[in-house]
Amino acid sequence: MIDYKTLVQDDRIHASLYTDPRVFADEMERIFHRGWVFVGHESEIPRPGDYVTRHLGTEPVIMVRGHDGAVSVLVNRCRHRGTLVCPADRGSVRTLTCPYHGWTYDLRGDLLGVPYPGGYAGFDKSANGLPRAARVDAYRGFVFASLCAEGISLAEHLGPATRLIDRSCDLSPVGEIELTAGWVRHRCAANWKMLPENDSDGYHLGFVHMALFRTIQSQYQRVVGDERTIKAVVRDWGHGHIEIDWSPGYEGPFEWLGGASGPAVADFAAAIERRDGPELARRRLREGPAHALIFPNLFLGETNIAIVQPVSVEECVHWHTPMFWTGVPEWNGRLLRMAEAGMGPASFLMPDDLIIAGRNQQGLHAQTAPWLLLGRGLNRETVDADGRTVSHVTDETTNRGFWRHFRAVMSET
Amino acid sequence: MLSEADRRAVADFLYMEARLADEARYAEWLALWTDDGVYWVPATGDPGADPERHLSHVYDNRARLDTRVKLLQTGVRHSQEPASLMRRLVSNIEVETAGNDELVAGSNFVLAELAVQAKHELHWWAGRATHRLRRVDGALRMSRKTVVLVNAAEPLPNLAFLI
Repeated sequence: MIDYKTLVQDDRIHASLYTDPRVFADEMERIFHRGWVFVGHESEIPRPGDYVTRHLGTEPVIMVRGHDGAVSVLVNRCRHRGTLVCPADRGSVRTLTCPYHGWTYDLRGDLLGVPYPGGYAGFDKSANGLPRAARVDAYRGFVFASLCAEGISLAEHLGPATRLIDRSCDLSPVGEIELTAGWVRHRCAANWKMLPENDSDGYHLGFVHMALFRTIQSQYQRVVGDERTIKAVVRDWGHGHIEIDWSPGYEGPFEWLGGASGPAVADFAAAIERRDGPELARRRLREGPAHALIFPNLFLGETNIAIVQPVSVEECVHWHTPMFWTGVPEWNGRLLRMAEAGMGPASFLMPDDLIIAGRNQQGLHAQTAPWLLLGRGLNRETVDADGRTVSHVTDETTNRGFWRHFRAVMSET
Repeated sequence: MLSEADRRAVADFLYMEARLADEARYAEWLALWTDDGVYWVPATGDPGADPERHLSHVYDNRARLDTRVKLLQTGVRHSQEPASLMRRLVSNIEVETAGNDELVAGSNFVLAELAVQAKHELHWWAGRATHRLRRVDGALRMSRKTVVLVNAAEPLPNLAFLI
């Protein structure tokens, strides 16, 4: 038994949390099987029979839309011999048929039939369906699943952090987003937890991304320089959901897009204003979409959606796709180019993050000083009226929020 | 009709372009592009991929291509600092004429990349490149380079060098 209350302390964490395969095994069980995990977005499977394949931790799953329109999450493993029933990333099918011996399941995972049934006596088809995620629920099209029948509801897991998802979706004039551009997957030679921690770390920007700051002007320029003039904040929403909020540093609309103008922008702003009225519209267009982690694996990366996929204790994959706003396809080209600039193996930001993560992973093997410091900002963080802890954007309030929830989940028996 | 001299010139260009990329000679590599250059690395091997609808690894117009190279030249682009050690083989060259006095060259490549930035891993890359070339002041220049990796749709390690 690993004692997570010792390894995760309020102001420091132990390096073995990133390097010990036993910790990884516990995480798969306690976080990625028992807890709520982001699987995909309903817009990825618009029609009955559409599916995508994903992972709940290291468990291969199929997210499929049934004939009744309901979304199921099925374990991608034939009950007969364990074969992946759906080997492709995505597809559209009438039934799910195992390529090995032709066992056929319906879109809810129920076993329809097996070839040559004479070889089985008293075979109970109903007991041999594809294992289903015990619980599947969605919020604004974001589908989450848990392999465990017991536990808190998705609404309880998300808590007030639904407002982060709202912030991103409400920028769409019709309040809906579409993930239809395809995903790019980026391999990272580091423990998976470094991705959510880095995605919500406002301290590294001026250093890891120095090349970009030296080369072009961007909206992130406001968070480098004099510590006292930086207005952006970090915020801990509870349950491991953590945020960087750049918006206190934004003065006008669309600064989160690096500025924008022209007729398409004016039409977009007008559509939001018709829906929300001038004051709320002005605020939305100034604040922009969320930059936040929904524990454990969904990253609302401003105009991107990203997934953190653990692979093994020292390997993970970062997925991303641009978040298209339904009803304004004229924005898609711009959002695609934003996605390619920010994330993915050939982008201008993420390769630098992931190479630093790889160097972290190597450094963590040093045994002489096994604790990582987590105390930055403890001297100045505050609690706002909604009970969320807030601090300077360079503070480790986000890391502490992540690890506090990690400790709670990992210490449950 | 394509002359042997044209074929030779195209092959020489492809070898030179590969060598400049391999050796991180960024300014010289950038000078091989026309002002309207488009550099595309799709994230799928599907020939129907549309960069206006589908996410790519790279879809640079000339301005973004300039930014890409400037980043590499800062000396603090951590993902290429130090630059990967690379050699690529270029083969199976097929050249066709295209409109506007341009040539289109398809070629296969295999690239050995020693990623020396963290774990010193050897990465193998392979795919087919398509160069669209035209003469500018007597010298061949690229107006478009498309690189379709055999593993375009798979999880990839850093691709911060010039492929």
